[in-house]
Amino acid sequence: MKIINTLKSVSLSVLPALLVSAVLSLGMTSVAHASKWDAKMTPDEVEATLDKKFAEGKYSPKGADSCLMCHRKSEKVMDLFKGVHGSITSSKSPMAGLQCEACHGPLGKHNRGGKEPMIAFGPDSTLSAEKQNSVCMSCHLDDKRMDWNGGHHDNADVACASCHSVHTDKDPVLSKNTEVEVCTSCHTKQKADMNKRSSHPMKWGQMVCSDCHNPHGTMSDSDLVKPSINETCYSCHAEKRGPKLWEHAPVTENCVTCHNPHGSVNEGMLTTRAPQLCQQCHASDGHASSAYMGNTDQGSTVGGNAFTGGRSCLNCHSQIHGSNHPSGKLFQR
Amino acid sequence: MKFKLNLVTLALLANAGFVSTAMAAGGYGIQDANTDKVKFDKWACKRCVVETGVNGTVGVGMGYNDSDDIRSANAFAAEDEFAYKVDADLKYISESGYRATIEADNLGMENGRLDINAGKSGKYNLNLNYRQIATYKTDSAMTPYQGVGGDHLTLADNWQTAGSSQDMTQLYSSLNPMELSLKRKRTGLGFEYSFDAEPGEKLWTTYLNYQREDKTGLKQASGSFYNQSMMLAEPVDHTTDTLEAGIKLKGDNWFTALSYSGSSFKNQYSQLTFDNAFNPTFGAQTQGSMALDPDNEAHTISLMGRVTADKTILSGRVHYGQMTQDQAFVSSGYGYQMPAESLDGRVDMKGVNLKLVSRLNRSVRIKASYDYSDRDNKTNVEEWTQISIDPTTGQVAYNTPYDITTQRAKLSANYRITRGMRLEAGYDYRQDDRSYQDRETTNEHTLWSKFRLSQFENWDMWIKGSYGERDGSEYQASEWTSNESNDLLRKYNLADRKRTMVEARVTHSPTEALTIDFGTRYALDDYNDSQIGLTESTDLSYDVSASYLINDDMTLTAFYNRQNIESDQSGSTNFSTPNWFSVVEDQVDVIGAGWSYSNLMEKKLRLGVDYTYSNSDSNTQVTQGVSGDYGDYYAKSHNVNIYGQYQATEKMALRLDYKMEKYEDNDASNEIAPDGIWNLVSFGSNSHDYTAHLIMLSINYRL
Repeated sequence: MKIINTLKSVSLSVLPALLVSAVLSLGMTSVAHASKWDAKMTPDEVEATLDKKFAEGKYSPKGADSCLMCHRKSEKVMDLFKGVHGSITSSKSPMAGLQCEACHGPLGKHNRGGKEPMIAFGPDSTLSAEKQNSVCMSCHLDDKRMDWNGGHHDNADVACASCHSVHTDKDPVLSKNTEVEVCTSCHTKQKADMNKRSSHPMKWGQMVCSDCHNPHGTMSDSDLVKPSINETCYSCHAEKRGPKLWEHAPVTENCVTCHNPHGSVNEGMLTTRAPQLCQQCHASDGHASSAYMGNTDQGSTVGGNAFTGGRSCLNCHSQIHGSNHPSGKLFQR
Repeated sequence: MKFKLNLVTLALLANAGFVSTAMAAGGYGIQDANTDKVKFDKWACKRCVVETGVNGTVGVGMGYNDSDDIRSANAFAAEDEFAYKVDADLKYISESGYRATIEADNLGMENGRLDINAGKSGKYNLNLNYRQIATYKTDSAMTPYQGVGGDHLTLADNWQTAGSSQDMTQLYSSLNPMELSLKRKRTGLGFEYSFDAEPGEKLWTTYLNYQREDKTGLKQASGSFYNQSMMLAEPVDHTTDTLEAGIKLKGDNWFTALSYSGSSFKNQYSQLTFDNAFNPTFGAQTQGSMALDPDNEAHTISLMGRVTADKTILSGRVHYGQMTQDQAFVSSGYGYQMPAESLDGRVDMKGVNLKLVSRLNRSVRIKASYDYSDRDNKTNVEEWTQISIDPTTGQVAYNTPYDITTQRAKLSANYRITRGMRLEAGYDYRQDDRSYQDRETTNEHTLWSKFRLSQFENWDMWIKGSYGERDGSEYQASEWTSNESNDLLRKYNLADRKRTMVEARVTHSPTEALTIDFGTRYALDDYNDSQIGLTESTDLSYDVSASYLINDDMTLTAFYNRQNIESDQSGSTNFSTPNWFSVVEDQVDVIGAGWSYSNLMEKKLRLGVDYTYSNSDSNTQVTQGVSGDYGDYYAKSHNVNIYGQYQATEKMALRLDYKMEKYEDNDASNEIAPDGIWNLVSFGSNSHDYTAHLIMLSINYRL
């Protein structure tokens, strides 16, 4: 499901149309008719043929040279050799093994007119994302991708080739300048969030989604890059890590108790402004229980007293993330 | 070209003939390839053409920045009138396989980035990187203090203290503007090495990454004496060193990694001392000191692994970490005996994650996971005398090192009804056990389901819903707080809660050139047992976007989002049932549009415009008999980027960018004079209202 044409306009010429259309038709693979065989075979027939071919293992007589007999005229095909997947000097490149057929499967009778299916990738492939991805994952299984299966993007049928391209000099999705556009083309809520009054500097590309999240999945909440929310926050906000003498329990427990890291209408990405935010948990007998009315007909104003004006509760309880002062129990020092 | 027998080939040969494995795994993994009949000696790859040498682009840019508010530097990454930058995207490949890349982006500007890699593909890589992140709040925060930027803020010699800020005769003559902004500069060095694998051996990889971040600037703090407070500029001069190292080991159907992550935080300033602007009250204090964030360290070791057996994948991770802090306590102005000179604080972090994903058949896949995490604060509990309004007998308090243990179990199934129709459903359970809290244990049960339909040509849609209930052990409002709290209060992170969420999205492409997308989301949090505190919040949003490829060269995009968040809470001024109520209503509108036209002037010119508008608006109302509100509180921003890129010669391209930001925000509670509140010396009004422009010309040269 997705639309990413914003990408085309925002990211200028760096993105080949390939990526644009790739993300565009993600999830609509069932309707694409790009390959020759798709005109005459149903997706299920294509898959069954590929399964059979893969098991039979009728690889070409001369590897890439067999394939390039026909395909060398395609610029896109030859662009493979500009990137690492086309490297002929690396022992870990597909070109060092089954070459083209490492990814596209055994040639079989495909060379007789190109009607027999090969494993195809990207938006025009009728092959399920899971099957496409099995090819990529067989080499790219590492600490950053070991949780792909069953993860958020895997469940949403996102194929590796929906975002990535290998027949290119440089995979455009890896550019920090376009990353946020790619992610927010589906994650529209976060796109709106980063435009709110306060947010992490995503809007201007100083930060990117992958600073905190791993799109390939992790074992943590929301595919965060660290084991927990707070540890992810501490990776940039180490000063809040402590442990301090006086801990503010909800702060220590979970930063998102009070903050929305994607953005908020309040300053400091707070979910609610003070004093309301504080009064959602503090109702002791004294000033925390009072109703702070703000502007009323009776003459009080929101900027006229220190309970609502200025920094509100933080005028005095400034060390709200915890204090290391021996007399800091109330976070005043 | 002739290949040596290598890892990939060996892996293939090792598995040759295991057709049944291939079928069983249900994919086309290279390990499962049937390579019995392959005659690798004939695979010469004569037609494989790898270009060697240097290629890519380098560019320089120069810009003129017209702004009277430093806040625009967030958008433009330019502080001064003139801005300069260097861009590069270079690649070198040698015939023997050495590779180097240099990527520079806006280097020289406040969001500059540099990334250099050198090595041999699949063998080793050396990385050097640099990145700057800068955020700007204001350049017109007003302060009477001298020594801003350091850890000792003093008032002028002729300062006249007073009981009220309005009576501070030297206040206005002492005020100076200052900039509140923070700048991070990160430099990193990384190395990765993959061992050559001999026949039958596994693939080893090791890595080591080091990063130093220097963060400098000023941020807002407050220093208070009893009920009087001054806004202060807290100096930020932090250095954080991070080291990550690990070993990864990969076999045909398994993977494991052992990794270490360490971080050391150092604060140049351990305390901030400040003069009291008010007449000394209790304790006759003319000077105060606050403790700044202490130096600390954190170390984590984790072991992770994954194994694939037939159609089942089992993965797991265990990690153990320690966070320590032992900075000497602030003692100035604190006249009591301390049980220790420093905290010697230590927190142990433990975690276990297990996940199983299994494909039962072509249609059904199930997933089960269990997660355990434990934060155990081992810091000693001691007696700490608190400075109080009675200067001779301070109150004694004990620190409460916070522990929390979280356990989660999840079970879900993903059922493919037909091609293009899929149903998912799951159950999530969560239990939290906390120390020193009003409630020891909370339990949450959530059921969710998602249905996706992409069967119809040009349509893709899904709907997701979830319902969760949280409850827990007995709630005792005042057990650990020294102040007596209202018994009816339920802190929202511990309270009973019924959470409902529905989300749906439809994508339609009526023609190949046009795509329209619509989504909506509604969430309701009902704190059903809370009388005092947060009682309910709702969040409703929808967005619509469209993209239209008008012709091969022209693209038009548009985006609109509306979100409304409402929070209800109650309080009690007489320490019993609710007698005041508060409603906070947030409304956010975001509009985005873009147009681009390529291949003009014999395919040499490309033009485009991007526009974004956002309006964050919030309204707070409090009612206790009469009603009051918190006044205007909004932020409106218009951002425009118009650009043109011209391919002047085959090698050289010129690009002109015009960027505009029109920004306005306010906050009635902060639109105050420095002496606007009697017991507060503030930074003055923090609002912004500006229009800023940036013109940048850049030249890119293709090597």
